[in-house]
Amino acid sequence: MTFIRQYLNAILRSRKLLVQTLLLCFALMIYTPFLMIALRSVGRGWFGRRWLPPELTLDWYRWAVEVTNIVEITKNTLLIAVLAVLISTAIAIPTGWALGRKNIPGKELLMSILLLPRMIPPIAFALGVAQIFYRTDLINTHIGVALAHVSVCAPYAILVLSATFEALDERVLEAAGVCGANPLRSFVHVVFPLILPGVLASMIFTFTTSYNEFTLTLMTYGKDTVTLPVRTYLAIGEGYWEVTSAMSILLVIPSIIVLFMIQRQVAPEKLVGGFKGV
Amino acid sequence: MSDDYMIELRNVTKRYGDLVANDNVTLQIRRGELMTLLGPSGCGKTTALRCITGHNIPDEGRVLIDNQDVTEVPSYKRQLGMVFQNFALFPHMTVFDNVGFPLMIRRMNKAERRERVMEALRLIRMEEYEKHYPRQISGGQQQRVGLARALVYRPKVLLLDEPLSNLDAKLREEMRFEIRELIDRLGITAVYVTHDQAEALALSDRVAVMNAGHIEQVGTPDEIYDFPRSRFVADFIGLSEFLAGTVSTISTEDATAVVTVKGLEIHVALTPEMTPGQNVLFFIRPNDVALLPASHKSGTNIFDAIVDKMTYLGDRSDYRIQLGESLGLRVQTDGKVRFDEGENVKVHLPIPHCRVIMDHA
Repeated sequence: MTFIRQYLNAILRSRKLLVQTLLLCFALMIYTPFLMIALRSVGRGWFGRRWLPPELTLDWYRWAVEVTNIVEITKNTLLIAVLAVLISTAIAIPTGWALGRKNIPGKELLMSILLLPRMIPPIAFALGVAQIFYRTDLINTHIGVALAHVSVCAPYAILVLSATFEALDERVLEAAGVCGANPLRSFVHVVFPLILPGVLASMIFTFTTSYNEFTLTLMTYGKDTVTLPVRTYLAIGEGYWEVTSAMSILLVIPSIIVLFMIQRQVAPEKLVGGFKGV
Repeated sequence: MSDDYMIELRNVTKRYGDLVANDNVTLQIRRGELMTLLGPSGCGKTTALRCITGHNIPDEGRVLIDNQDVTEVPSYKRQLGMVFQNFALFPHMTVFDNVGFPLMIRRMNKAERRERVMEALRLIRMEEYEKHYPRQISGGQQQRVGLARALVYRPKVLLLDEPLSNLDAKLREEMRFEIRELIDRLGITAVYVTHDQAEALALSDRVAVMNAGHIEQVGTPDEIYDFPRSRFVADFIGLSEFLAGTVSTISTEDATAVVTVKGLEIHVALTPEMTPGQNVLFFIRPNDVALLPASHKSGTNIFDAIVDKMTYLGDRSDYRIQLGESLGLRVQTDGKVRFDEGENVKVHLPIPHCRVIMDHA
């Protein structure tokens, strides 16, 4: 108890320690559940109120790969994610250009309409999507699930890209023109390199959104289009907690790779124009 | 004799909705001269410049560059160099690539391109910055790079759109000379847009003063300053004092006229347009007026006055004086000449500096 009292006194005296403590609490809040899953996925015979599993094993990972046909499911998930990224980006580039660079009356209203699908409870929205898909035979097709994902991915992409295009300095484009670059060469040498970080960021965001999407997939998948999040959910129902945990960990790996890519590729200084005195 | 002109605007009108940004603007810019478009913001100077660059297509009128009608020619085919107010460098390219961009677009081979870019960078004393990105160099350096990029492929015309207004005052004056020197050395035709009259007077071969979408006056800096043709020009360039009066007599022998301003008879230099009985605007620059002690002997254009207010400005003294019954006049003298408030003085309005503006509404 004296230790705790000393610690509290130290916090009161030092702002740095207070900040560190708060950060630690924050980290614990975010990572503890994840840590539990990670432990569960490698533990055997971990019941009751023990803090740590008594025995470590990688069996559950073997189970996860063998029993649940994880290769097929990963393929589904990636294929759907790639489709969702392509469709979202194809929609978002012209839309973002219009919203970011043209003077459109009621721009704010349009933006909020775009975000509306995110405001409706996902399950309700997914139910509506499923009803349409049953009628149009899109259930249990990769393109169908991808299209469902686009409804949440595209708004993100449009937001990111309209901000990217808005940041593009009109004068810089004019400068390219005066320097003798026709519209095509202006695009290749000036516009494209300047918007590339934004487009990549948008694609990465849409990819992770689709990759982790659960509710919409649950309402539109079929036996040929099971994705990783859905399979993980189904595994919970089957009662194999350890296998489910192993799958969750596997599910995280691509997300971490993508996060790494974001930090490498989308350096913040590349996103802004970097002009002084303007 | 249109051969003498590098750029011609012929009756150019440009509207933005109800706003007429350029109203029947006609302007001829000679080969090799530096023409400044000067005026307050919203006077249409940038609109006129954008008609030359091709970023605006005039609603009426024609634009000629090097005797070719380019009114509808897109800017990338006009062979221009342009310097922007916000520098407008390509943020993702190094200084070297920025300057080399116009050459790369023209598919010049690498070795020759390198030589030309380094030559341009030497000209602006930035050789050692070739690998820097625009964000890594100062505003003044960025603008020098902008200048090098505009000049590197030796365009027919150099356009400068308020190139110095984003720089601080000291740098602005340095860059002013640097730009003038570069333009002289290259002998290029240049159009310079600014709202800064000091910049315009210091840099230009000729100045076109613009107001509310039309050109008020075109002339050399001397002409614009000494013989403004409208109240707007006189007011916009330098300090001016105006007094409304009437031409009473004209004397052709000594080339003077007398303008009566509230009973005061002021002798002015005669101009051909003057006729007796005409209502005119008398004007004089405050620093052309001389203040003399009250004991000074009377004479032509020497009047009794009282000092209303005196402000000491170091190198100058700024006076508000009262002439005769009710005429207020601002006078600026050398800082060494000192009169106190309330003191009786004599005011001398030297005839060569006494001018008249005919057209005033």
